[in-house]
Amino acid sequence: MITTGSKLLIGSALAAWAFAAIYGVAQEGALGTIGLISVALGLTLVAALNVFVSDSNVSALDHESFETAPAAQATALPSLWPLLTSLGLVAMTLGLATYTVIFVLGVIAAAAGAIEWLIQGWSERASSDERFNRHVRNVFADPLELPVAGAIAFGVIVYAFSRVMLGLPTKTATVIAFSVVGGLVLLLGTVIAMRGRASRTFVGGVLGASAIVLIAGGTVAGLVGERETHEHETPADLAEANECGPEETHADADASQTVAAKSSVFAELTFDGTELDTRVPGSGGKFDTLTFPRSNPTNVLFHNEASEPARLVVEMHPAIDDNGDPVGPERICTTLVEEGGTQFLTLVFTRPSFALAAEGVGYEFYVPGSDATVAVVVP
Amino acid sequence: MSVSPSTRTRIRTISAVALATVVLASCARNAPQDTWQPQGDYAQQIQDLQWWVFLIAGIVGVLVISAVTYAVVKFKDRGQPIPEQSHGNPLLEYAFIALPAVLLAVIAVPTVATVISLNDTDNPDCVINVTGQQWWWEFDYPVAADGSICGFAPNAEARTIVTSGQMIIPTGAKVVISGTSRDVIHSFWVPRLNGKRDMVPGRRHTWNFEADQPGIYAGQCAEFCGLSHANMRMEIVALDDADFQAWIDNQLKPYEAPEDGTLAAAGEAEFIAQCARCHQVDGLTDSNGDPVVAHPEDQVYSGAAPNLTHLMTRNTFAGAAFDLLNNDCRDDVWNASPAEFGPRYLEGVTEPCLNEIELKEWLRNAPAKKPMYTDPALLEPTDGLVRGMPNLNLTEDQIDNLVAYLLERK
Repeated sequence: MITTGSKLLIGSALAAWAFAAIYGVAQEGALGTIGLISVALGLTLVAALNVFVSDSNVSALDHESFETAPAAQATALPSLWPLLTSLGLVAMTLGLATYTVIFVLGVIAAAAGAIEWLIQGWSERASSDERFNRHVRNVFADPLELPVAGAIAFGVIVYAFSRVMLGLPTKTATVIAFSVVGGLVLLLGTVIAMRGRASRTFVGGVLGASAIVLIAGGTVAGLVGERETHEHETPADLAEANECGPEETHADADASQTVAAKSSVFAELTFDGTELDTRVPGSGGKFDTLTFPRSNPTNVLFHNEASEPARLVVEMHPAIDDNGDPVGPERICTTLVEEGGTQFLTLVFTRPSFALAAEGVGYEFYVPGSDATVAVVVP
Repeated sequence: MSVSPSTRTRIRTISAVALATVVLASCARNAPQDTWQPQGDYAQQIQDLQWWVFLIAGIVGVLVISAVTYAVVKFKDRGQPIPEQSHGNPLLEYAFIALPAVLLAVIAVPTVATVISLNDTDNPDCVINVTGQQWWWEFDYPVAADGSICGFAPNAEARTIVTSGQMIIPTGAKVVISGTSRDVIHSFWVPRLNGKRDMVPGRRHTWNFEADQPGIYAGQCAEFCGLSHANMRMEIVALDDADFQAWIDNQLKPYEAPEDGTLAAAGEAEFIAQCARCHQVDGLTDSNGDPVVAHPEDQVYSGAAPNLTHLMTRNTFAGAAFDLLNNDCRDDVWNASPAEFGPRYLEGVTEPCLNEIELKEWLRNAPAKKPMYTDPALLEPTDGLVRGMPNLNLTEDQIDNLVAYLLERK
């Protein structure tokens, strides 16, 4: 006897074949014909199966079948692992045709899904006790799932946070963001402490909401892109471009006005607006000229006690190589120093002063825009 | 375990010989770097301090060793019953806390005072820049604002004096050195005049010296600095005021070219061709009359080489590792009385006194005399630049010419 369900499916299959034939003849074998034939084949297969199992119906009087029929068995628990595995396989296929990274992600997803599916499938048949089966599954899966899930979650959060920080337009906004985050953490801690004991739901809710906000923010910031970073010239760039003058430049913006080094300078030069006063630590006397050893990095401190910003410059008079190019910088300068500020300069003189004297030049420190100079002798 | 009489005798004999060796070794005389013979104010301060500390430490040491020896001998386990155990003795415990604290305080107060005094570099009479480099010392004497050099007004136009190996100072003057290094950390140590002071690249360290009498005070680098650390020596030469003035004036003498047609003239040409790549002789000019400027920064990893302008006014070379004077002349200078020392030193190195063998061996193959990093096959880490003087493969004629030329550098 053909059951009701079987009749429906047989009829559907026959209809699908008819439609496929009509469409195929009318459209002369167009692509849609293949789809309809696929549907007809599927329906035919399902119909044949249903005829075999007779709609999976079991007679209410057939007690034995009632207990042993497949329909009477516990079904497998809902699971996303087959879906993940299939998505992985699709990604692998797509990745072969597009980007390698998609292929790699597909491999990872397919492998992860397959392993989890295997574990779940095995654990569901471990015993007739569902609770025990879950426990066994966790014993095998947790050592793998928890670290990986933790690493992924941590990575996502960190990456999202970094996108937010890189996307914020100004330093001020960054300070505000950190203040807000810090304030929220403090608030949460205070609430938990005052409540005495926070429920898992509450804590989970707060953490979950924070994570969602962070990931959402990170996603938005990542899509918007990083803030524009301006390239600032350095004093070395200025020196190369012959811009160690009295005017303020990009390199001078936000330049530090203090120096961390507390000792070990060879000399301190102080500009009072008209003159450069020199002091050599360890020497009680005054020196109109400073004597620097040759080929030795030597440090000097520049203090500006004038009312106007000033910088210290020294002409290096480098040797000229065979191509006519200078070997080393032509001059070195500090950034612009505000009144009361200090800057540090490290110098290496490779040519002796008498060699420069033959060329009619000499080493000297000077402050652009003033007549203040201090001669340097390199023996 | 019992020891046989013959073994006991042998042990006693060996112990006696060892003890005698140690005691007799401490009686060495004329050790040029003997810290127990201070020759200046700062070294004397250290000596005064160390006697007190040595005395206290010695007494404490003797007491402790005696007490331990007594306890070991008196209470040796000879099978006697274990004595009654006691616990704590407040009087002893307080005493063993108080007494060391008092001793430490007694030591600390003069120690701190001495350290402060040694580091006081205010109001110097003379300032000298010292630069350490593998493996020699450079000294330059800057010109002060009043035109003086090391507190002395020269009789010629003042300019910075550069020398190496021997640092000349006036006697009785507070000399402050401002020191650094071009490469690794070195340490400046002239034991009879003061303690050690590190010379650190990128830093400036000051240190004091004062010599009571004219003489040569030997020193050496006291911080391991590489292959020839043991050969990195220096001397401080103290001269009385008149002699120091004469030394300054001599250092400021203009360059004197050798007579044409002499060995020295040939040596000058060899020097320009070979040596002037690294070594500077101030005032030396080439055939066009242009000054010959050395470029050690192109040859030497640390960027400099000793200035040889007045080489023969000093009596050591190669980082003061070797003598320019032969043995007889060396003894005349080094062992001269304070009254005679100045004139003998200022004579410099004359032809009869030249240690020609040593100097020629150096010119023949410098790395063979003093280990240095100059093997071309091993210079990749330093981009082909040498540390020290390489073997120039000079012929004997070239060496003779150079020696003749250098002999005139006074």
